[in-house]
Amino acid sequence: MNEEQKKELIEKYKAEKAKGVKFWPDIIYKDLLVSFALFILLVGLAIFVGVANEPPADPSDSSYIPRPEWYFLFLFELLKYFPGQIEWIGTTVLPTIAVLALLLLPFYDRSPFRHWRKRRLGVTIMSVVVVGMVALTIMAVATTPPAAEEEVVAATLPEQILLGEELYGVHCVECHGAEGEGGEITGVEGLEGVVLDPINARDVMYTFTDETLFNIIDYGQPDLGMPPFGLGYGGELRRGDIIAVVNFMRYTWDDRAELPQEVAQASAVPALAEGEVPSYEVHIQPMIKRYCVSCHRPGKKNNNYLMRDYNEIMTTGDHAPNVVAGDLGSNTIRMLHREEIEAGGPMPPTKALKPELILIWEKWIAGGAPNTAAEAAGLTLPAEFLPVEATPTAAP
Amino acid sequence: MAERVFTWLDERLGLTAIYNTVLDRKVPKVNWWYTLGSASLFLFVIQAVTGMFLTVYYVPSPDHAYDSVQYIMNGVAFGWLIRGIHHWGASLMVLFVFIHMLRTFFFGAYKYPREVTWLTGVFLLLTTLGMGFTGYLLPWNQRAYWATTVGTEIPGTAPFIGSFIERILRGGTDLSAVTLARFFAVHIWFLPAIILLLIAVHMYLVIRLGISNIPKEGE
Ligand code: HEC
Ligand code: HEC
Ligand code: HEM
Repeated sequence: MNEEQKKELIEKYKAEKAKGVKFWPDIIYKDLLVSFALFILLVGLAIFVGVANEPPADPSDSSYIPRPEWYFLFLFELLKYFPGQIEWIGTTVLPTIAVLALLLLPFYDRSPFRHWRKRRLGVTIMSVVVVGMVALTIMAVATTPPAAEEEVVAATLPEQILLGEELYGVHCVECHGAEGEGGEITGVEGLEGVVLDPINARDVMYTFTDETLFNIIDYGQPDLGMPPFGLGYGGELRRGDIIAVVNFMRYTWDDRAELPQEVAQASAVPALAEGEVPSYEVHIQPMIKRYCVSCHRPGKKNNNYLMRDYNEIMTTGDHAPNVVAGDLGSNTIRMLHREEIEAGGPMPPTKALKPELILIWEKWIAGGAPNTAAEAAGLTLPAEFLPVEATPTAAP
Repeated sequence: MAERVFTWLDERLGLTAIYNTVLDRKVPKVNWWYTLGSASLFLFVIQAVTGMFLTVYYVPSPDHAYDSVQYIMNGVAFGWLIRGIHHWGASLMVLFVFIHMLRTFFFGAYKYPREVTWLTGVFLLLTTLGMGFTGYLLPWNQRAYWATTVGTEIPGTAPFIGSFIERILRGGTDLSAVTLARFFAVHIWFLPAIILLLIAVHMYLVIRLGISNIPKEGE
């Protein structure tokens, strides 16, 4: 652009300004309006969409599919077209060219024209690039598999404790017992007869920090027979899971930590009303999760009796059926009462269930072993479980 | 009284002069696309303010980062709102800065005499992307960890100096406490300082040169 063109341009601009508006209030008004709308949008997004909860970083879990922020997706997609040896073209050459092209734009585009009709080449290139970026982003979104098994993440402490309780029930009960009480291990291959000290005791809780507990669970105590549970050491628990188990142990067994109210309510087996028939869903399942499933799941020694859902409980096992609706002589009841029968020894092998819990099992089976609470509502208990009617005595 | 305070201040600070040059000036009649720059500025301010609140509770170490974010979400009053706004504000800011760049491109606003405005603008775009990249790691969750692992591998493929850059970004061969510390420092000190400086120059130029008029046919 020569000096004359510059002068002409500045004259024209002055004329435009003279015909124009005041910055304050005309322009500021529009700006504020847009900013205000943006603010409302942001608050709305924060309230109604929020931020997705993610499990903590776990360097050992390399199965995780990386998902960059959406505005970098086009770059990731682009890289797929430059595999192996020529990867650096996509990662280095193209981005460098793009940045330089942008930076130097005013210096190589020397034409004085600003209207798009006189800048067709530049406008076309930019449009193609932008459309390409949008297309690549869409392709990236379409081809990334949906977030693996959209896992539930326990965010709050109560959620973590409940998750930890469940995981403890599955992974630890078979050796350490439902309450961490230890004792002689029965029914666990390789450790038969080993006697474990309690891990719920005060001295354990007071001497082991959360970090120590985490590490013991993460890589186990191979010399002593405690298996590793961390993903990085061949186990199946992720970092977040182990943290949950540690929190469960801390908040249930350490007398210095107070179990949050919600947890105490959520994890207790709900009380029964007089004459109510218990159901699998509400009463039996929580007990099984806590006292039985650790051994009664695939890959464990259990006479092929699996207890992960209602169907399995009613039908599986070498001595199936182990639960017969209405029959208090069912294997399960007899074993809970610590009888030695053909199907095996007392259940759970190490420590008897509390009598009030066994009573719930009896009422459930006697009442017809219903699955859901709705089914249970239509059933009645046999007479022996009902309170004896007090004979009204005549007033003196 | 208020008047006397004002005259006293005006005499020393030159408030009227500022008012005359910054606010009380004529500009060409423009359309809504011209609000994108101020929208970007607004989003930057939002990010700065919410970000400052987040640093009160955030702890930049691998052992505590995740928990501190959980605490912000569950323990701090309105922490979830602040984090939500910062989270979405980041995305919106990238979007708005980018569209603002497109606006100035398609309107030919980068031409004489606004070349330097454009130059500072390009750097603003790059630093904004840098903010997005460094901020993404801070929650230290699975998504953050693996996206950054892959993200730092990308410059690592550059010929000759690639692995060197990757090591600088990560502060070692793998993502570690050092990476987190570096990303945190860059996210809350280095980049914001640079952006602030760039915005100052950018704004000075916009005011000095005036906003460009909408180009007419033949211009
Ligand atoms: C296969 C059996 C087995 C399973 C399953 C198991 N442990 Fe262990 N655990 C052991 C043995 C054996 C020891 C060593 C006992 C000792 O040192 O007295 C041990 C030790 C421990 C200790 C340290 C006790 C101490 O006093 O040093 C803790 C804590 C512990 N286990 C927690 C767990 C948790 C939590 C789980 C579930 C995720 C679990 N264990 C699952 C067998 C097991
Ligand atoms: C420590 C592991 C362990 C726990 C905990 C446990 N079981 Fe068992 N269970 C076994 C083993 C092992 C067998 C195989 C029989 C045997 O060796 O006694 C078995 C067998 C059974 C059988 C007979 C299955 C068949 O078809 O032969 C029933 C019924 C049973 N368990 C019920 C329960 C119930 C109900 C609970 C929870 C209250 C429970 N078990 C908890 C280890 C366990
Ligand atoms: C944090 C990022 C940014 C902020 C806060 C910002 C702010 C602003 C504001 C408030 C204006 C005046 C109003 C308007 O035109 O919208 C402006 C103008 C301008 N901006 Fe930006 N901007 C940013 C990024 C960019 C980028 C990425 C570019 C281009 C690469 C750019 C190039 C320009 C140009 C050339 C002008 C002059 C426009 C004209 O006179 O018509 N800016 N900017």
